[in-house]
Amino acid sequence: MRKNIINKITGLTLILALAVVGLAGCGSTDKAAEQGSGEATSAESSSQGFRTLDEIKKSGTINIGVFSDKSPFGYVDENGEYAGYDVYLAERLGKDLGVEINYVSTEAANRIEYLQTGKVDIILANFTVTEERAQEVDFALPYMNVALGVVSPKDEVVKSLDDIGEDDQVIVISGTTAETYLTKNYPDIKLQKYDAYAEAKSAFENGNGVAWANDNTEVIAFAIENEGYEVGIPSLGDQDTIAPAVTKGNETLLNWINDELKTLGKEQFFHADYEKTLLDTYGADYEETLVVEQQ
Amino acid sequence: MDKETLVSYIPLYRDALLLTLKIGWQGILFSFVIGLIGAAITHFKVKVLKTIVGIYIELFRNTPLLVQLFFIYFALPKVGVKITAEACGVLGLGLLGGAYMIETFRSGLESIPIIQTESSYSLGMSKLQTFWYIILPQAVSISVPGLLANVIFLLKETSVFSTISLMDLMFTAKDLIGMYAKTIECLFLLVVFYLIMLLPVSIIGALIERRLRYAGFGD
Amino acid sequence: MLDLGIDVLFKGTNFLRLLQGLWVSIEISLISVVISILLGMIVGVLMTMNNPILHVALKVYLEIVRIMPQMVLLFIVYFGTTRVFGLDLSAEASAIIVFCFWGTAEMGDLVRGSIKSISKVQFESAYALGMDKVQTYWYVISPQTFRRLVPLSINLITRMIKTTSLVMMIGIVEVLKVSQQIIEANRKISPNAAFGVFAVVFLLYFMVCWPISRLSNYLEKRWV
Repeated sequence: MRKNIINKITGLTLILALAVVGLAGCGSTDKAAEQGSGEATSAESSSQGFRTLDEIKKSGTINIGVFSDKSPFGYVDENGEYAGYDVYLAERLGKDLGVEINYVSTEAANRIEYLQTGKVDIILANFTVTEERAQEVDFALPYMNVALGVVSPKDEVVKSLDDIGEDDQVIVISGTTAETYLTKNYPDIKLQKYDAYAEAKSAFENGNGVAWANDNTEVIAFAIENEGYEVGIPSLGDQDTIAPAVTKGNETLLNWINDELKTLGKEQFFHADYEKTLLDTYGADYEETLVVEQQ
Repeated sequence: MDKETLVSYIPLYRDALLLTLKIGWQGILFSFVIGLIGAAITHFKVKVLKTIVGIYIELFRNTPLLVQLFFIYFALPKVGVKITAEACGVLGLGLLGGAYMIETFRSGLESIPIIQTESSYSLGMSKLQTFWYIILPQAVSISVPGLLANVIFLLKETSVFSTISLMDLMFTAKDLIGMYAKTIECLFLLVVFYLIMLLPVSIIGALIERRLRYAGFGD
Repeated sequence: MLDLGIDVLFKGTNFLRLLQGLWVSIEISLISVVISILLGMIVGVLMTMNNPILHVALKVYLEIVRIMPQMVLLFIVYFGTTRVFGLDLSAEASAIIVFCFWGTAEMGDLVRGSIKSISKVQFESAYALGMDKVQTYWYVISPQTFRRLVPLSINLITRMIKTTSLVMMIGIVEVLKVSQQIIEANRKISPNAAFGVFAVVFLLYFMVCWPISRLSNYLEKRWV
């Protein structure tokens, strides 16, 4: 019996030891990478962590990360097809590259991770350009304008973030700019965080939070589509843009996307995109404020 | 791995650990209560209730906790039943755990020889007295290893709470990765904190099991 | 009448997609179970050997599996391996690796338990008859452990299927993700879809797992 316990304790000690070794191992990998020498670096540079334009073309498929539960930007329709403003662009990129598209369904919090680990080639998931993110991934030219907005039920509209009570919770989606902004600027507001858009919206509908903070495009759409809600704060924080993103350092793909966006700008592609995917939701009023065309 | 990042994240993980433990133990306590009541019902073969307990066990043992939580948290409010995320966590864990606890208690009860019940009756004890004073204490101590295995299982299952907006360890890790992309640091702390939470339970479990084996040595 | 939002399932290919999502879960579980059973037998036999290093290594392995949530393992394998080793694993491959890592430990422990339950006399008699170790295991021990293991491994299948609900978290579009997509695409027309869809998913899981666990119970009573 006693032997059993000793075994167990040895086992547990070993786990901890392993964890520490793991820690040390990771630490040294990072250091090696910084110094630009050592085995780890050479292994990394040979695999690169991303696929160049040529490699994508050669393989015949491109992996594009999009939302699958964020209507009307990226969602899956009742026939199982991906659709929305972002997807409309993705389709065109695939067509002009001459490759098949493999859509990867992402959550907001996974977007950087997917690019950095090379699991997708491009993120087209309503990705707002921010300084912090630009350190982690490379953004192409923008294709949409965005700011933050806050929507709340009509009978108790939140007009200012200062009105939010101590015990009230504001719903946000993990990994979005709204989350970062509120965490930084309003650290006292209690946030209720969800992974997926579908979950956040269901929770908001069920009355689990006093308000929902997100991209204003999204909250405006929600208030238009669902009765009984009003966007009390239509614009918050900086005016930002949304752009395609690629893995840091993937210049060939980045340049191609930028050239492509300029070509698309000449034919007013995003106006057509808006009319096709967003008009039903927003009406014509928002077309000029939302759409960005590259000249 | 960046030491400063690690240190700055520790308070967040500590809070998450406390939340996980808070909901975890409430849920486990709840599952104990369900387990005892349910086992008593099946033990005494109470009509109707017995069938209900049977259906309950099958339903909750054969569906994932994640789906149960989604149903309680997102679906039930649509028909007017609304509860907070924390209550949902406790309820979900309790209901899932209860289905396992009943089985554990029941096998403990079944292992008590019938002669003990008969002897108690012949001493003039009532059915309830026999159950409460004679059978239950023995059954519970026999069930301890099984119960501890259930406790570890349930504490592990709390990792799905993140989906209903509870800031548990898993959520904290995912959230920090999403905001600052320090993946390795976040995953490392995640593992360390789960070890902090579950290793003691596991060690205590081994110790108790050893004692019980000694206790049973005289048989 | 109360709108339960079940009607959305009959629109387009919604219900079919839900079933396809469920199949993804089942497929991952089945593949993992088969691999786990094979590897678990090896691990189980290794556990009964008296090699101290092997013994400690396997103890550590079992302890990790026992206390680490599967979700944590999924995240480590899916995101961590790429970071540390530069390996690019698909979400499906990561899920299968994690489930096998877990299943092998479980099966190994079961195999060890059932080998241990066979009395020493049988080994000794087999050796006395001039059989070598492999022959003993193959002809004498394994047929006896087999019957004991079948119900337990069937039980493992249901647990795998239940655990596959977590793979949604690493981007696999399985039944829960599909239900979110359906709820989202129909929010405007069918605001109560969350109720109908999640209720159906709950029942679908039950309808898959229940018969399998019944079968396992039945075999356990008959064979053991």
